Parts: sequence; C-alpha cells; structure tokens
Amino acid sequence: MRSGDSLPPGDLPRQFASRTELQASLRQLFPEAVGDLSPIRGGHQAAAAALAAIDPAAYGRSRNHLDGAVTHLSPWIRHGVLTLAEVRERVFAWLECSGQPPQAAAKLINELGWRDYWQRLWRRLGDGIWHDREPLKTGHAPEAYAAALPVDLLEARTGLACMDGFVQELHTTGWLHNHARMWLASYVVHWRRVGWQAGARWFLQHLLDGDPASNNLSWQWVASSFSSKPYLFNRDNLERFSSGRYCCVCSAATDGTCPFDASYEQLQAQLLGGPPC
Amino acid sequence: MLKPVLWMHGEALGPANPALVAHPGAPAVFVFDRELIVQAGLSLKRLGFLYECLLELPVTLRHGDVAEEVLAFARRHGADGVVTTAAVDPRFALLRERIAAQLPVQVLEPEPFVELPESVDLARFSRYWRRAEPVLWARAGAAAPPAPARRWDR
Repeated sequence: MRSGDSLPPGDLPRQFASRTELQASLRQLFPEAVGDLSPIRGGHQAAAAALAAIDPAAYGRSRNHLDGAVTHLSPWIRHGVLTLAEVRERVFAWLECSGQPPQAAAKLINELGWRDYWQRLWRRLGDGIWHDREPLKTGHAPEAYAAALPVDLLEARTGLACMDGFVQELHTTGWLHNHARMWLASYVVHWRRVGWQAGARWFLQHLLDGDPASNNLSWQWVASSFSSKPYLFNRDNLERFSSGRYCCVCSAATDGTCPFDASYEQLQAQLLGGPPC
Repeated sequence: MLKPVLWMHGEALGPANPALVAHPGAPAVFVFDRELIVQAGLSLKRLGFLYECLLELPVTLRHGDVAEEVLAFARRHGADGVVTTAAVDPRFALLRERIAAQLPVQVLEPEPFVELPESVDLARFSRYWRRAEPVLWARAGAAAPPAPARRWDR
C-alpha cells in the first residue's frame, strides 16, 4: 500500500501501485488466507468485458466441452457485480441483434435458471443446504463416507492427470469448468468415498464463484442426496469432452490402471452397493 | 431516513446495487467478515477478487465484526439509519437483526431474474423451470423454445 495513504484508523487501503502490491497487502491483512491472487480479476470493468463477449449460440453448442464457449461470468454473478437480470437482458439483446431464433439462446437461459433455482432453494432451506436433502441412492450408508479429503488429492498427486490437473487449476485460478467440477466431485464422492460436505467446503475455499447454494446443492446432485441417482462418468466421457488433453499425458491411461476406463454398467457394479441404478 | 449510510455485502458488488443507486454519494461501507473468513478458510484468491470488485466502488473497507463495524461507521457519519440490499445468505439476516437492534435498517430488493410466487414448487429443477421458462421468454416476446434434453451429455 502507498505510504502516503492517510486513512481513518482501521480503514483498509484502497490505493495500490500494482497487483503485486495488492497481494502483499492482502497477505498482511489476512495472514490466515492461503495462496496467491487469481489471474482472474475482480471488478465491474472485467465483468462488462466478459459479458460483452458472450456468444449464446456457441455456448449452447459447446458448453459441455472444456474448451467450449462458456461465459466465465460466474464469479461476477456470484458477487452481484453482474445480476442475473442484467445477463438475461444481454442475452435477449444478443438474440435481437443476431436475428437468431430463441432456440439459439435456450441453453444459456436455462443455465441462468439453474443459478436462480439454487438461490431460491437457499432462501427456503437456509443452512439446511449443508444436510442431505434426501437419502443417498448409492447403496452405502452415510457413515461409509470419510469426513476429510485425502492428502494425495489435496496435493494433486493422485497419479490421475485429469484429477490432478483439476485440483491444480482450482488451487491456482479459483475457477473450473462446470464439467470438470462434476467429474472431480464424482471422483471424490464415488471413487474415494468422501462425504460431499468435505468436498463442498473445499470448493468454497477456492472457487471465486463459490456460492454455498449452487455449490452444495450441485455436490448433493452428484452424491445423489438431491437427485434420483448418483452422477458417474467414465473415461470415454471425460476424454471426449476434454479433447483427450489429460489422457494423452496420463500413465494410468496407458498402463491399464485408469479407474474410469469402464462402461457405466461396470462402474455402477463396482462403485455402488445394491442393485444398479 | 434522512441521513443513512449504506451497508454493502458480497452479494451485491456492482453499480446496479439498489442501495447505491437510491443514495448516490451516501457513505458506504463493506466489512470483511473476520469470523466467516477464518471459519470457511477462504483463500487469498477469493479475498483478492472481492477486494478488486470493491476498489471500483465508492466504499470504505473494514475488517472485523460486521454488525459492530457497520454501527461504528454509522456513528462516525452521524447517520440515522442503514440502507442495504437483500441477500440470500442466512448470515445476512442475523447481521441485519443485530444492526436493526440499534438503528433502522432498510433492505432494498434487486431486480429478480424471473417473477414467480414465493410458493413455487422447488422439489426439482424441472418443476421450477416449467413455471419460470414461459415467464422469462415472454419478456423477450417469444414462446419458450424446446427445452435442452439433459444437462450433461454422456
């Protein structure tokens, strides 16, 4: 912070010569907070630039792919830098300007609806979002799930290039593609058998868009305490929607130890107790 | 309220914040919630992102107990009340009650994404969406297009 600042006692500084200086100040102000700044900048200027760049049609075609045309708006929406109403109006304006049919923006509007839905549920449930909405459909008792995340996962050394890559990206940038979040959450809950609350708490520590409602209820959706069946994925699915970027550098992908290299029927039999869902 | 201060929080950090819009030029404060930051173990990334959002707003920054800091800020400016924007986080309601025990608090509502009755069925997204989708698309002067088949492709 600049030495020339003259602030009332206890007011935090507002002037910094650089992001490096901001980061150094934040380390002093919040010594308990781990890590560095994200390369993603906060503020309305950055948000407005991202909003101006959205392409709802491309989003609809490619949003499931890690390199798809996702909007990256979630951190600013989470903190109300942009409201859902502003984004909605921007999407409708894009439709009008582009002359495209409503179908071209249907998926993006639908995903904004998911955000609104989670917020409405939070308003209704309060801190109840930290508890199972429904019994798990995994065939395992809640006590079968560990309360803490395994160290190898937190240190990004599971030996699985995809999962280690997701953890590094989460810890470094504070943002993950939604599909990567689903794969990582599914791995944590169903392959490592860790309780979803531990994973949810971890995501909230790091995600710039960390919103307890969207986050926890999505973890519950993966775990099956807020859906009709557990969310599982396999190698084919991950490889296809990541364009193979992880499998091509992963030793587990070639030495036959990839835990995801199976059919959905095989994974259900292996990971879930009781009859297949 | 003749001379309010504005209480900003982490769910409304944009220029469209209704409290900022309703009271341009009024003293505004944001408090980094010491207890929440420690309890949740928030990373520097998250705090830095928030900080950068706040640096673009006309707001005084504090760190500590939120209710105590907002009340002290109001006293510092000789305010007769606090204006803020509605938030969903249940922690907001607890803080608002503590502040309201000493000063009037006015809570302004942001523009909703879609107008629906509070009692709308939220048991599953599909039930909510059956109600929300036609209302949304009516705003664009269009009928709702066919719904996406599934959220995640296998």
